[in-house]
Amino acid sequence: MNEKEMLYQKRLERYMTAMDCGKPDMVPVAFGVGEWITKYTGTTLQEIYYDLDKSNNVVSEMLPGLDFDIFKGGPALWWPPMFDAMGSKLYKFPGMGVDENSTFQFNEQEYMKADDYDEFIASPTEWLVNHYLPNISTELENPGSYRSTVALIKGAAAFAMQGGIMAAAWGKWTMENGIVGQGTGFTKAPFDTLGDALRGMKGVLLDLRRRPEKVLAACDAITPHNVNCGLAGAGADTRFPCFVPLHRGAYPFLNPKQWDTFYWPSLKATIEGMWAKGKRMLFYAEGDWTPYLEKIAELPDKSIIFQIDTTDAKKAKKILGGRFCLQGGVPTTLLTYGTPEKVKEHIKRTFDELACDGGFILDTGGVVMGDAKKENAIAMIEAARKYGIY
Amino acid sequence: MSEKEKALNPDPGVCVPWEVKKAEIGEFPGNEAITKKEWEKLDDFAYNFIWFWAQR
Repeated sequence: MNEKEMLYQKRLERYMTAMDCGKPDMVPVAFGVGEWITKYTGTTLQEIYYDLDKSNNVVSEMLPGLDFDIFKGGPALWWPPMFDAMGSKLYKFPGMGVDENSTFQFNEQEYMKADDYDEFIASPTEWLVNHYLPNISTELENPGSYRSTVALIKGAAAFAMQGGIMAAAWGKWTMENGIVGQGTGFTKAPFDTLGDALRGMKGVLLDLRRRPEKVLAACDAITPHNVNCGLAGAGADTRFPCFVPLHRGAYPFLNPKQWDTFYWPSLKATIEGMWAKGKRMLFYAEGDWTPYLEKIAELPDKSIIFQIDTTDAKKAKKILGGRFCLQGGVPTTLLTYGTPEKVKEHIKRTFDELACDGGFILDTGGVVMGDAKKENAIAMIEAARKYGIY
Repeated sequence: MSEKEKALNPDPGVCVPWEVKKAEIGEFPGNEAITKKEWEKLDDFAYNFIWFWAQR
C-alpha cells in the first residue's frame, strides 16, 4: 500500500466512524471546490461549466497539499452541453441565457399541468417520456421527428460521456490525493420531485388547496422511484451516503400541518426504503429545519446524516445527536464575508458545541457561493486540523 | 394504439421489462440469461437518464 492509499484508508475510517456516530481520531472535514475558484484561475464560469476537461484540471491543480477527508466535487453542478443537445428549458447557463460569469438559473414553470396528475400517477416513467421530456425540451417538441430523434441520441450519449469522464476524474483525484468521495446516488424528497421540476412552486402550493389528494397520490407514486434513484442501481455501493438536497421542506415554505401531511410521509418512506437496503441518506437540509427536528428523530438510528445549514445547531445536537451523524457547522456567508481569523474562531467554537463526543463532520452548511474567498476556504481546513483532534 | 405502444407501467429501474421483450421475440434458442442481463443494464441506464430530468 503506497502513501496515498494509506491516507485514503485513514480518511475512510474517519468518515465511516463519524457516520456511525462514533469518535474517530479527529473530526472529518468535507470540502468542495466551488464556483469561487474561477476568480483565482483566470477562467470564466462558462468555460468551467462547458469544458469538463478544463473544470477537472482546475480541481486537479487545487487539491494537492490540502489536508481534508471527504471530497464533495468540483465547481460545475451540471454539464450544459447535454442540456443544449435536448434544447432544455430547465436552466439558463453561464454564456447561454445569462452572462458568461453569472451562475446558472433554474427556469421554474408548470412543466406538468394540473390535468396531468392522473396519467402521471398511473405510470410515472411513461408519462415522463411521453409528456415531460417534450415539455421541457425544445428539440423534442415533435416526437418522432428527425430533430427529436437526434436530440435524444445526443442527450443519452452526453449522459454516458459525462459519467465516464467524471468517473475517471474522481478516480484520479482519489489516487493522487488520498481523498474519499462524499457519496454515491442522488435522489430527492418525493414532494420536491413534484414541486421543483414538475409542478413548480406556485403549482404545487395551489394543489395543496385545490387537489390535495392528487398531491399525496403523486408523492406515493414517486416514492419507489426515488428509493431506486437513491440506491443508484441494484447491488451498488452502500458504504457511502446518497446525496439528497431538500428544498420545500425547509421552514417556512410549508406550515407545520402541511409539512406533516404532504412533505414528511413520503420522504420518511424514501429514507426507510433506502435504509432497508443498507443505504444511508445525506439529509441535505438546506435552510431552517428546526421545527421538524422531533419528527426527524423518529427515523431509524443512523439512517441519515443530518446537514446543518441554518437549523438551530444546538437543538439539532440535543435532539438528533448520538443517533444520527451531524454535518455542517460553517455558514456559507462566513466564507464570503468573514476573514480567516473569524473562520478559525468559528470552527473552534463549533467543535466545542457540536463535535465533542463524535458523530460530527465539519462542512459548510450549504452550497458555497461564487463570491466566497479562497483564503477563508483554506482557513476552514487548517483550523479543522488544528482544533479537530480528539 | 399498437401492441408495442400499450401502457407498460414499468417498475422503478425499468423502462421496457425483459418479459415484454421476450414475449415479442418468441422462441429463444440461445442463453436467455446473457441477453436478459445486458438488456436490463441498458434499460436501467435509460431509466436513470429519464429520471435525471425530473430530479432537478
